[in-house]
Amino acid sequence: MKKRRIWVVLLLALCLALVAAACGNNNTSTTNTSNTVKDDAAVKETVTEPSKDPVTLSFMYWGSAFEKEAVEKMIKAFEASHPHIKIKGEHVPGDFTTKINTLMATNELPDVSYLGEGLALKWGAEGKVLDMTPYMDLYPALANRLPQTYYNYAPGKTIGTNTAAEIITMYYNKDLFTEGGVELPPTDGASAWTWEQFLETAMKLTKDNKGNTAIDAAFDPENIVQYGISFPTWWGGWYPFLLSNGADLTNEDGTKYAMNSPESIEVFQKLQDLMYKYHVAPTATQQQNMPATNVRLQTKKVAMAIDGQWALLDFASTKMNFGMGVLPKFKEPKTIILGAPTVIFSSTKHPEEAMEFYVYHNNPEQVDLFKQGLWMPLEEKYYTEQDAIDSWINNEAHPAEYKEAVIDYTVKYAEQSPSYDLKNFAEIDPKIGAALDKLWTNKEPAEKVLNDLEKEVQPLLQGKYSNE
Amino acid sequence: MNRAMTKLPPGKMRLSGVARMERNWGILFALPAILGFFIFVLGPIIAALVFSLTNWSIGSDMEFIGLDNYRTMVAEDTLFTKSLFVTVYYALGSVPLGIVISFAVAMLLNQKVRGLSIFRTIYYLPVLVPTIANSMLWLWLFNPDFGLLNSILDSAGLPKSQWIYDEGTAIPSLILMSTWGIGNAAVIFLAGLQGVPGHLYEAVEIDGGGALRKFWHVTLPSMTPTIFFNLVMMIIGTLQVFDQAYVMTNGGPNNATLFYIFYLYRKAFTETHMAYASAMAWVLFLIIMALTALVFRSSRFWVYYEGEGRS
Repeated sequence: MKKRRIWVVLLLALCLALVAAACGNNNTSTTNTSNTVKDDAAVKETVTEPSKDPVTLSFMYWGSAFEKEAVEKMIKAFEASHPHIKIKGEHVPGDFTTKINTLMATNELPDVSYLGEGLALKWGAEGKVLDMTPYMDLYPALANRLPQTYYNYAPGKTIGTNTAAEIITMYYNKDLFTEGGVELPPTDGASAWTWEQFLETAMKLTKDNKGNTAIDAAFDPENIVQYGISFPTWWGGWYPFLLSNGADLTNEDGTKYAMNSPESIEVFQKLQDLMYKYHVAPTATQQQNMPATNVRLQTKKVAMAIDGQWALLDFASTKMNFGMGVLPKFKEPKTIILGAPTVIFSSTKHPEEAMEFYVYHNNPEQVDLFKQGLWMPLEEKYYTEQDAIDSWINNEAHPAEYKEAVIDYTVKYAEQSPSYDLKNFAEIDPKIGAALDKLWTNKEPAEKVLNDLEKEVQPLLQGKYSNE
Repeated sequence: MNRAMTKLPPGKMRLSGVARMERNWGILFALPAILGFFIFVLGPIIAALVFSLTNWSIGSDMEFIGLDNYRTMVAEDTLFTKSLFVTVYYALGSVPLGIVISFAVAMLLNQKVRGLSIFRTIYYLPVLVPTIANSMLWLWLFNPDFGLLNSILDSAGLPKSQWIYDEGTAIPSLILMSTWGIGNAAVIFLAGLQGVPGHLYEAVEIDGGGALRKFWHVTLPSMTPTIFFNLVMMIIGTLQVFDQAYVMTNGGPNNATLFYIFYLYRKAFTETHMAYASAMAWVLFLIIMALTALVFRSSRFWVYYEGEGRS
């Protein structure tokens, strides 16, 4: 009998421990919300009353350790100037999408967060992400941003803009141009190289181990030591050229696959030819094993490199004579604006405070990342007013050509990447990427790849958000 | 289990005091595992089954759609078929190869040579390396331009390979890589080898049999239970392969390494189709169940337990 009692007591104790553990768990995850529920009533008053009760906002973001440092500094500055708001910043270095999906599934979302474009628009359309349209009048700094940077889940309905603006641009090693006696890439979009001029330059800058360039008859493509150009094989590397040649992923309203149009095939074939016909670009496989853009140029593995504006940050640590130019063109000079948005989740209890933080968190006056080259500002004045322009590019990180090759180029020639508008792009993109592997590894020519791709992509097309 | 059975006189339902105490304490000590199974394994498994019958996508509302997810999988989703093919291809390569190599290594490690414990440590060491580090290491080995493997091929006068960067060679490359992690199986084989009764070898020797006969008539039959165990574990393990695709190839090139679980993960956490991913999980569960059952059923024809006749 006694033994049985011990048994029962132990079992009960164990159950108790388990329940307690479960409760404890619950507590930590819900304190936030229960606190905020309490505060909610108070906050509504703060709108009219100046005496403000403390509010805590959670903010989730990704980025390198370098970015983390800058963001933490921004948070401190924000808390200093907004004593009643406390920001709980959470840096997620790894798989951000997985994390945010899990938080969405368990209803534990942060108030403000970086978010992948696909999810942001999908959740925007489903009302999970805050519609910022009503706040536009209140915050001119939000209303006057580059028109291409708004993520609209329906016409006139926005969930905000990119965290920062970015474009696809071209970097080059000036010394290699001098060495080869080749003219530098243009910085003015209007005088962008034609594809032929670009190819010729790339050939002159591609060298084998005997010093022959790709133009010479004795050129040995098996032993190339310096490539003329490298370009990314994800859409950032080819979508600007599609636009330049008047092509696109789909038809106007996003319902019909169009990557097998003659213009599109031409672009992809010419890109494949850079790798396998003219041997002026490293193949996709070679690129995967190459260092970052700044090191590629510094070590003279490539002379010109197409990459995102964000890569500029890395050049600060690379002592070299580099420059920036505009992309070559097919018909029209074009580049793309891209970058994931920062959003406020509708589940927030403090939309006013969250908005306050939202316009602050990527204000160039508060965040160093703009001056350091990683980010481009969103407000139009930073592209048009001289004082404002100087405030972020007048420093060592930005080369002399930056004003023309990036700022003016963005204003005049940058269009939205497909992730701003095409529905279901998060699912379409991997299909395109997988099929293009055949192109980048020279298994099949562009026409066949793009024709075969139709049956993969067409069923996934659901139109565009702007056509709602 | 066997011990408990011998303590219980057959047919007698009342347990003796000691037996009852042992039973109670036994259950108590196993309780963390039992509760863990019910709460963290069985619960989610059932939840996944329910989700798989809906169209739940994270952040959206849920509706019951019956077996639609399963129908889409079989009838429309070409990547599902592809991922299944890729995974089976990988399993068909890496399981037999893994068994043969780990068995061979175990045989070698069972010899009496100097520095044996060092060899045993070396062969087991890769198991202790985290998969991420392991994958990074192999990325360097596979590097087509300056990787070690191509240097070896080159110096032997053989043509270079693109390894994991080519659609055709990606899976064979990963199979090759999988043989690096055979330490666990080898240790189990080694334990099995040391349990092979010595008198049987003596009997072969007396009858004038050589090493080959010893292996064929004594070692192999005595080892069948161990082979059986390793086979089951490896089948289950390889069908759930994920890390290599996640770390090294991202499923590419052209989905050549789109392993089943990797595709499932992508469906669930990139494309947010939780319901579809749950259905995929159930399909894999059933496939593994069926395969394991098949192996178990076949075992009566080839697995030999000492002290029992072949049944």
